[in-house]
Amino acid sequence: MGKEVMLDCLGEACPVPLIKTENALKKLTIGDLLIVHIDHSCAMKNVPEWARKEGHNVEIEEVDDGEWEIFIEKAK
Amino acid sequence: MDIKNNKYYKLWFKDPWTYISGAILLSLFQIVTLTTTNDPWGVSGPFTNWGAWLYQALGGNVDKWYYFSSKGAQATLAGGFLNDPGSIRNLGIIVGALLAALLASQFKFKKIKSLKQVIAAMAGGLLMGYGARIGFGCNIGALYSGIASLSVSGWVFAIFLFCGAIVGSKFLVKFFM
Repeated sequence: MGKEVMLDCLGEACPVPLIKTENALKKLTIGDLLIVHIDHSCAMKNVPEWARKEGHNVEIEEVDDGEWEIFIEKAK
Repeated sequence: MDIKNNKYYKLWFKDPWTYISGAILLSLFQIVTLTTTNDPWGVSGPFTNWGAWLYQALGGNVDKWYYFSSKGAQATLAGGFLNDPGSIRNLGIIVGALLAALLASQFKFKKIKSLKQVIAAMAGGLLMGYGARIGFGCNIGALYSGIASLSVSGWVFAIFLFCGAIVGSKFLVKFFM
């Protein structure tokens, strides 16, 4: 079981959450979990899309009205 | 039955629509806009009128401004908000976006993260507004409607918009990451 890292992207608009996610994921190793906290609906689309395309395991959870947590497990 | 789990609620209100359906709807409605108002779709132009009306309400006068010197511009300003299709449409976009967020129960007051964000937002807004007026259109009026009208200017606008976006992205990564 890898480590868990939280990334706070609340109040950030595109493309900031996506670039921050890319940078944060670079620092992790395979098996680590990155949890991206967002409140920008476009990021709910482009962050998971990018991560899935890169081959990582992705899950989205709606934690509040207009607030989501994107779980990305680094797979490679 | 809980509406949150209803298949059609999710399909129509909750989940984002595909880019394709958005593109088709935008294309159809810009045709409706052109045929009903005799003007192609534009967004930032009416905001300029809002600015002029606000300035007039505060006692200012734009009669001598080159931008508002044409008969058409003067007639639009004299006609007022309710007689300007573009203004009504912009109001509709704002109300519609609010409604969509509320129906999906995704409405949220977002916190301002930093002073840097405020300054960047204001600088970006000013640059976009100024650029849209100097270029006689924004990415809707000059780009979208330009290309939809088979005008070369729309494509030229697209090339330089792309160049600007590259420079803007570099600044964004340098100062906001």
